Amino acid sequence: MNYYQGSVSRRNFLKTTSVIGGGIVAAGMPLSSAIWAAEGKVLTAASTNDITKMDPQFYTAVSEVSVMECLYSKLTRFKPGSEWGWELEAAEKLEQVDPTHVRFRLKKGIKFTGDYGELTAKDVKFSFERGIKHNSPVKDNWGSLDHVEIEDDYTGVIVLKTPFMPLFNIAFPYAVGHIVSEAAVMKATKDGGDFGMKPPAFSGPYVLAEYKPNQHLLLTRNPEWAGSKPGFDEIRVVLIGDTKTAERAYQAGDIDFTGITLDSLAKFKSNPPADTKIEGHPSLNYHWIGMNVDHPKLKDINVRKAIQWAINVPQILEAAFAGQAEVATGTIPPGLLGHREKALVPPEGDLEKAKEFLETAGVSDLNLTIDCLNESLFLTIAQTVQAQLSQIGITVEINAQDAGSFWTLGMESEGDRWKDMQLTVMWFSNLPDPFYATGSFLQSRVGIWNWERFRSERFDELSAKGVTISDPNERAKIYQEMQDLMEESGAYRFLTHGGNPVMYRTTHTQAVTRPDGYPLYVDFKAV
Amino acid sequence: MWLYFAKRTILAVAIIAVAVTLLFLMIMAVPGDPAVVMLGPRATPEMKALLHQQMGLDKPLVVQIVTFFGGLLHGNLGFDVFSQRPVADIVFEQLPFTLELILISILWAVVIAVPLGCYSAVRRNSLVDQVAGVVTVATIAIPSFVMAVYALLIFAVTLRWLPAIGAGNGLWDGLIHLILPAFAIGIGWVGYISRLVRASMLEVLGENHIRMASSFGISEWRIVARYALPLAILPTVTILGVGIAWLLSSAVFIEVVFARPGIGALIVNAVNTRNYPIVMGVVLVTTFLIVAATTLSDVVNALLDPRTREKL
Repeated sequence: MNYYQGSVSRRNFLKTTSVIGGGIVAAGMPLSSAIWAAEGKVLTAASTNDITKMDPQFYTAVSEVSVMECLYSKLTRFKPGSEWGWELEAAEKLEQVDPTHVRFRLKKGIKFTGDYGELTAKDVKFSFERGIKHNSPVKDNWGSLDHVEIEDDYTGVIVLKTPFMPLFNIAFPYAVGHIVSEAAVMKATKDGGDFGMKPPAFSGPYVLAEYKPNQHLLLTRNPEWAGSKPGFDEIRVVLIGDTKTAERAYQAGDIDFTGITLDSLAKFKSNPPADTKIEGHPSLNYHWIGMNVDHPKLKDINVRKAIQWAINVPQILEAAFAGQAEVATGTIPPGLLGHREKALVPPEGDLEKAKEFLETAGVSDLNLTIDCLNESLFLTIAQTVQAQLSQIGITVEINAQDAGSFWTLGMESEGDRWKDMQLTVMWFSNLPDPFYATGSFLQSRVGIWNWERFRSERFDELSAKGVTISDPNERAKIYQEMQDLMEESGAYRFLTHGGNPVMYRTTHTQAVTRPDGYPLYVDFKAV
Repeated sequence: MWLYFAKRTILAVAIIAVAVTLLFLMIMAVPGDPAVVMLGPRATPEMKALLHQQMGLDKPLVVQIVTFFGGLLHGNLGFDVFSQRPVADIVFEQLPFTLELILISILWAVVIAVPLGCYSAVRRNSLVDQVAGVVTVATIAIPSFVMAVYALLIFAVTLRWLPAIGAGNGLWDGLIHLILPAFAIGIGWVGYISRLVRASMLEVLGENHIRMASSFGISEWRIVARYALPLAILPTVTILGVGIAWLLSSAVFIEVVFARPGIGALIVNAVNTRNYPIVMGVVLVTTFLIVAATTLSDVVNALLDPRTREKL
C-alpha cells in the first residue's frame, strides 16, 4: 500500500527539510525568524503587559493604547520625543472657546474601513459620550465632559460641565480620545457598549488582522489609509508577560523592540547586544512609602517625620532599582507640569534628625509592620526600609502579599484590615497630567485609594482649582503646593518614578517613543 | 472489566465534584477583590458594586456554587471578567498548548527512559549503567525551570538555533517551538522513569518464569521485551498517571519562561487578578485531566495485570 500521495515522499521530505534546516542553522538565524523573514517589512515588538481590550473607552493598560494608536484616529496625539506635549492628528483645528467649550474641526478624507464612510463629527460625539453612557471604568479620563454638540459634518464643540484642563493631556491625545465609527460599533454591539477585542472598523494606518490571546497581535497596513505611509508592512506585537523573558527573546533574535528591566539596564549598557540601541526613559509611575496616619502607632506626626528622615532613598534605589532610577520629589515626575525641583526632606534623610523626632514623640522600642507586594522589587524596598529604620530603633516586620490581597488592604469596603495597616510600599500608575498624580489623595478617597488616610481641606481646595486653571505656571504652583502638603503631613516618603528603558535593533528599525518610553509604533521607521 | 471501568468512572466524577467544591471554597476564602484589581485606583464603589453583580459575587456562597455547577451541566463555565469572553472558549483555546507540551515531554522521556532502564537492568553495573545512574539522578535533582533557563540561554540566546519564545505558527514551526520547553520538562522524567524501570526490571528478571523462559533458550532481548517489560512497566504507568499533576505544575513555570500560551500561564495571571471564573474553569479542567490520567493508568494497569481489577 502506498501511504504517500503526490510527489512528496518521506525521503524527499527529509532531504528537503534537512537542507533548509541546515542552511538556516548555518546562517545563525533562529528558525522562527527565518520563517517570518520571508515576508515584507515586519516589525516584531514585545508587549510585556497583556492586551485584553481594543475598545478605547474601556482600555485597561498603556500597552493596549500603543496598539490602538495604529488602528484609530484621534483629535490630537502625544508628540514623540523626550518632552510631553501634543499635536494635531485628525483635527485640523482645536480651540478652547471658553473654559467649558472646546471647538474642533476635523481633517477631511479620513475613512473608516468596511464601507463605514468618512470620519465625521457625529463619530466624535458618539465616541466621546459612550464611555460615560456605558459607565466605563476609565470614564474619569473625561472629567466633567457633558456632551458634544455637532455644528456640521466636520465641526463640533465639546461641552464640559465645569472647566477640566486635563482633557488636553489625558483625554484627547490618549486612549479615550480615539474615534470609532458609530455605524460600525452600533452594528456590532447593538447598544454601543464595549466591543472588547473585536474592533468593527479602523481609521488608522493599520488594521488588526489577527489576535491570538496570550500569543500575539498582527497589524497589517490599512489599504484605505490616506495619511503618510507607516514604516512597516506588518507589526507583530508579541505578548510576553515577563520582561526578563522578553530580554532573552530579544537576545535570541525573536523580537526587534522590547522594554527592559531596570536591573538589566546597566548590564545592557555596558555590554549591549549587537546592533542594539539602549534608551532610558523616566516613567510616569510613582513609588512611595505610605504611613497610615490613623493607626495609633503612627498618629503622632513626630513618629511619621522620624520615619521620613530615617529613610535613605538613594540606598533604596541602589538596592531595589539597581541604581538606575532617579529620586522622586513627589508624585509628579520631571517633565510634567507641577513637578517639584526638590522634596522637603532630602533624599538621603538624616538619622540624627530622625532620632530627634522620635525623642520629641517620646517613643522607644517601636515595632511596626510594612505591607508590600510579594514581588522582588517591593520586597527589596521593604527590606531596605526595615534595615534603615532599625538604625533609629524601630523594628519592622514585613508582610508580603500577592496582588489580589495587597490591593484591597487599605479599602474600608473590603473589611477591617486597613485598621491594622501601618507602613506600605506603594506604587501607582499615572497619566501625563498632574490631576491624575494627585487625585487619589483627596479626603473623599480616604479608605478607597487614600490608604495613608491623609486629610487636608487645603489640598482638596487646590485639587478642585487645579483642573480649572489654564495658565500653566499658575497651575504648576497649585500642584507643587499639594505635594508640599502631602509631604508635610509626614504620611509620605517619596521614592522614585522608576523608569521604562527600551532596546531595539538598529539594523531593523529606528524606534520612536513617548517621553516615558512607550512605543509609538506608527512612527517607527524601517531601516 | 466493564464493571471495573464503570466503577472507576463513577469514582472519578465524585472526585471531580468534591475537588472543585473544595477549591471553590478555598479560592473564595483568599482575601482580595477582583473588582479592585480590574478597575484599578480610579474604581468608585458604584463601579465595584456593578462588577460584583456581573460576576455574581454579591450572592451568597452557596448560591454561587449551585450556579457554577448548574452552568457546568449546560456546558457554561461563565464569562471572563476582563474580556467578557466565555471561560470555556478561553480555557479550551489555551489547553491544547499545554497538552501538546506535556504529551511531547512525556513521550520523548518514555522513548529514551524505558530502553535505558531496561539496558541498565540487563547490563547491571556496566559502565553504561553506572554513567546512566549518575546522569539520571542529576537530571532528577535539577528543577525543570532551571533546566529551561539554561536551555534557553544556550540554544536560543547563544547559539541561536532555536526560538526563545512563543508557540509558533503551523505544525513545523510549532514543533520547533516545542523542542526547548519539552526538553526542559522531559529531562527530569528521563531520569525518574529510567531508574524506576531499572529497579522493576531487576525484580522481574529474578522471578521464576523469566528464568524458565531463559532456560528454554529464548533470546535475552525477547525475554526482556515480551515477558519482563509488561510487568516491570506497571509502576511506571501508575507514576505517569499521577505525574500529570506534576507535569501541569512544571508547565506553569515553563510557559512563563518561554512565554508560551497555555493554561499554566493562564491560571497564574487569573489567580493574581482574582479572575474567579477563569480560575474555576482552569481548576475544573486540570482536575478532570488529573482524574482522567489516574483513571486511565488504573485501567491500563488492569489490562496489563488482571489481579489489580479486584482491588477497587
